[in-house]
Amino acid sequence: MPSPASSSDTSSALYAERPEWKDVTPLPQYEDANPIAPIFYSEEYKDATDYFRGIVKTGEKSERVLELTESIIRLNPAHYSAWQYRYETLLAIKAPLDVELKLMDELAVSFLKTYQVWHHRRLLLMLTGNPGPELKFITESLKVDAKNYHTWSYRQWLLAFFNDDDLWAGELDFVDAMLVQDVRNNSAWHHRFFVVFQSGVREGETERGRIVRRELTYVKQNISLVPNNPSAWNYLRGILDFNNLPYSRVEDFVRPYAGTTTDGSTTDLVDLENPPPSTNAQLPCSAAIEFLADIHEKEGGKDRVLQAIALWRSLADEHDTIRKKYWEYRIREALKSVKE
Amino acid sequence: MAASSPSRRAPRPTPTDGFSTPSSITQAETEAILLQHIPSDADPKPILTKQAHMQFLVRNLVQGFPARYMSQDASQPWLLFWTIQSFSALQVGLDPGNKQRMIDKIMSAQHPDGGFGGGPGQAAHLLPTYASVCALAIVGRPGPGGGWDQIDRKKMYRFFMSLKQPDGSFLVAHHAEVDVRGIYCLLVTATLLDLLTPELVAGTASFIASCQTYEGGFASASQPYYAAIPAQSPAGEDFHAKSARLLETPRPPLGEAHGGYTFCALAAWVLLLPFREAEAGGRLPQIDVGKLLRWLVMMQGSEIELGGFKGRTNKLVDGCYSWWCGGAFAFLEALGVNGAAEGAPAGLPSGEEDEQREQWDEVDDTLFNRTALQEYILYAGQHPAGGLRDKPPKNADSYHTLYCLSGLSAAQHRVSPSEARRMQIHEAWVNRRSSVPGAVLSESKLPDQTRRKVFEEALAWAEDEGGSLVLGGADNRVNATHPLFNLTITHAEGLMAYFYGQSLPPRTRLGKSTGKA
Repeated sequence: MPSPASSSDTSSALYAERPEWKDVTPLPQYEDANPIAPIFYSEEYKDATDYFRGIVKTGEKSERVLELTESIIRLNPAHYSAWQYRYETLLAIKAPLDVELKLMDELAVSFLKTYQVWHHRRLLLMLTGNPGPELKFITESLKVDAKNYHTWSYRQWLLAFFNDDDLWAGELDFVDAMLVQDVRNNSAWHHRFFVVFQSGVREGETERGRIVRRELTYVKQNISLVPNNPSAWNYLRGILDFNNLPYSRVEDFVRPYAGTTTDGSTTDLVDLENPPPSTNAQLPCSAAIEFLADIHEKEGGKDRVLQAIALWRSLADEHDTIRKKYWEYRIREALKSVKE
Repeated sequence: MAASSPSRRAPRPTPTDGFSTPSSITQAETEAILLQHIPSDADPKPILTKQAHMQFLVRNLVQGFPARYMSQDASQPWLLFWTIQSFSALQVGLDPGNKQRMIDKIMSAQHPDGGFGGGPGQAAHLLPTYASVCALAIVGRPGPGGGWDQIDRKKMYRFFMSLKQPDGSFLVAHHAEVDVRGIYCLLVTATLLDLLTPELVAGTASFIASCQTYEGGFASASQPYYAAIPAQSPAGEDFHAKSARLLETPRPPLGEAHGGYTFCALAAWVLLLPFREAEAGGRLPQIDVGKLLRWLVMMQGSEIELGGFKGRTNKLVDGCYSWWCGGAFAFLEALGVNGAAEGAPAGLPSGEEDEQREQWDEVDDTLFNRTALQEYILYAGQHPAGGLRDKPPKNADSYHTLYCLSGLSAAQHRVSPSEARRMQIHEAWVNRRSSVPGAVLSESKLPDQTRRKVFEEALAWAEDEGGSLVLGGADNRVNATHPLFNLTITHAEGLMAYFYGQSLPPRTRLGKSTGKA
């Protein structure tokens, strides 16, 4: 989406004024002097892209092309053709890739939100085959933007593509640190799911029952801390769905969250399996009501379905009114199944 | 807009459980701003300030885009598409002179080796290819200089095939990334221009399915794993695992469920339905529609967020997701989710609140809150100086202007696959190809039967009579839009009829017409 192009203050002269570029014929963008809906380019940008078009036309791949494409990228990091041509040039002239990666370290931070910055890095990594230093770099850039989509998918790609035990080793601690910073960071929850369940089974994790128990405990504790956190509830659903476990397995845990009081006083026993809502919890938690209704529906039978319907009704009319249509849809569907 | 007047019902802030984190802090800041845009009962009806938005659009078109749009230099066909499709939504056409200038500009971005780039001299890329072809559907025409006959379909097809990956996905451009936006753009273009073949889409539905995350929405891409990759294989970019076997699992999504990717994946999935049975390997790829529906409804913000949509769990609402999420509901119907309360079971009180809403239908089978979404767009999405936006206090831009208007359209109208319309088109079909000069693709890789199916499925979408709900009165109405293409149905029909060499039976709708104003 449009965002102001950052103005580069590199004070180098225009390409048109530099003798070493004299042999290149700059190509203006439009033959028509008056195209509809023109963009008001800066002089610097127009100059660089005119020379870029000139270079593309002759097919030159040389050291100076790296300078030219860098100029364009700094002015407009979304110029994918400049990236593409730069990549081909790097290959053609066998440019040193460590230098290129160093430049990318800088550009990634400046232009975090562009696809190309991250993809270019990916291309370079496939060439160097050295993912080692990358995780630390990614962790650093997540400090700038903890939910950056490209950064997270780059990390996931790196792990999956190189699939190296040393890379995987620190991931759970890393996710945990991210969730400690912000337990509502859905990108981090997704990363956890990716690491634990979706990227294959690594050595030391073959005992899946233990892994599932570990994850259930982890997510329950986080729900206990902040009950109204849809990311954590989705993670809980994810664990159960992925492992074909019935939702009823966590019914005892869920129930207090669907109630109205934080009643921690009934017992002094600490039930590690079922951590209660925190004292500040704002109950009832609509995610818990929904979860409980799903348990009832899946257990089946007229009574349970009616209990589910009562819960959906309370969401539709009171606790989650914006989704009234959806809850009523669930009610209709459930009633159909009872009739059938 | 009512800044300080009492609101109809003080909406609840999103609960934080007394535990503040960066997410809850930005959420609370956003809610505080949105709260100022919530109307009170005393407020007059919300108005879509069409004039102001047209001025914003026309200014960009005629005077040009200010320097901050330099970041969109590689998206010039998009700037044109966002602008001209916003015109269509606002029921405005363009004069012939400016149409021609637009055609000329778009055609200058066609790459000599096929496909369209972000501008003249730029590499071909799937995204501007979609934007170019859709803009041409609106402003172009057959004949010399009209654009339609100058699209090089043979080369475009070759360009598409050159991007194809062994896991059924496509790069968005040479040496570029794989993601479902590109696949959506490719499939729309190929559908519109009669370029879909089994060869082109082999494995693509499986790829799409693998992008669904545990939350129910879709991610940008998935990571293929292959069996029997030689250990010493240089992992270079040109490594093609053609000889290696793609593993069914693991095939993890890269990135979390996201509104934009979900729209693209879902539309792609629907566009691929005519090919689904032909998918090699026998096993039909599946997606979890129930989970998807749940995720989509959960993206709608609550009352304090004015019912706008967010793009990911625990992120902020943004006007553009009015379309990417709000617009995606139309696909659920094509996938068998039927929200219709036909013969509502006894004992279900109809909401009293609903009856107070003007023009509320007796039976409204939309699964999201279409009234609330219209409120978000009208109260928070409109910039006072014209154009639409992400959220206040941000500026308007072309992208958000179109996707807020498209989202408004998705909330106002119900467009769904009509069996009656499909039959009409089916019966009118003749086995012939387009008369586009030199356009016949390598002597049909595609049997007429399949072309016919693609054609009739794509154009069976019709606006339901009486299914519209226009908040604020008829003056706020925007045109209906085709859920798959984001073109008016009239424009989609015009382009497809031409490229498939068909003539379409007239739509037998009563009353208002979609399409041109």
